[in-house]
Amino acid sequence: MKKTILFLSFVALTGSLFAQKKTTTSATVSFDASTAIDALPKAENKTVTAAVDTKTGSVAFEATVKNFTFSNPMIQDHFNGTNWLNSDAFPKFTFKGKIADLSKVNFTKDGSYTVLVTGDLTVKDVTKPVSTEATIVVTGGTLNTTAAFSIKLADYGITGVPIDAGKVAKEPKITVSAELK
Amino acid sequence: MKRILIGGLLLVVIGAGIYWYIATDTFSDTKDRKSAFTVDAVDFIREFQQNDSLANLKYREKIITVNGTVSDLESPDTATVNVKIADTASGNFVIFAFQDQHIEEAKNLKIGDKVSIKGSCSGGSLDGILEVVKIDFKRSALNK
Repeated sequence: MKKTILFLSFVALTGSLFAQKKTTTSATVSFDASTAIDALPKAENKTVTAAVDTKTGSVAFEATVKNFTFSNPMIQDHFNGTNWLNSDAFPKFTFKGKIADLSKVNFTKDGSYTVLVTGDLTVKDVTKPVSTEATIVVTGGTLNTTAAFSIKLADYGITGVPIDAGKVAKEPKITVSAELK
Repeated sequence: MKRILIGGLLLVVIGAGIYWYIATDTFSDTKDRKSAFTVDAVDFIREFQQNDSLANLKYREKIITVNGTVSDLESPDTATVNVKIADTASGNFVIFAFQDQHIEEAKNLKIGDKVSIKGSCSGGSLDGILEVVKIDFKRSALNK
């Protein structure tokens, strides 16, 4: 009986350590469109869903646009408004991609690995390719991942006076960090 | 001429004042806000499961108090904790990100605690990655 319990515990432990699909519902996506003349247009969303498949190398995240938190109420209203993200009509950002050089990562060995992630970012129903370097730190089967890249707002149909006037960056920086188990 | 100059100066001062007021404005403490609805977590989750369009129209961008049992605590980083309440029958869940001044309250919670959480509902729908319904809250606080 004791042996059976020990065996089942081992199976459960190794199963969770080496599960193929690592996920979280508390990844963070930061959006920073601040400029030298306006520090306000930046926000974070800390309830982002993310997943990495350690076997296929597929990577994905999904963020609810309305859950980006700004310090300033007016900027948050603008961010969600029809001229910007129009979050009533387009409630999510999504990214679907792959680790291009998956063979560089040994998910069963603790360590820090730098990889190339390529994929498609969809904002306001517009999908554009994204390619970025990412860091994966493996610790006991848990993956701590970070990546940063910029997007061109105009690519997603986001334009306007504040952008032309330099109060909002034309190419905001997006940072993604996640602890995946 | 003098009147025009004084008038112009007044306009600049008023404009700067309005800009300063708007630029330094912050969100009020959720604890002090009045809830539009007080709901049981599982009933609330099932409303989204049954018809997320109607549920979003009813709850999105409103302050909601949700009563339920903590099913999980997740740390997006070392400084913060998110609280999850799940419908164990379906796996659908609501997740609360806390307002800065209330993060310590969330850190003291444990899985299984009965809680009442007030926050700004950001809406919910089927999550494309986990294939369960997920409802997001921001600027949350324990409703004591």
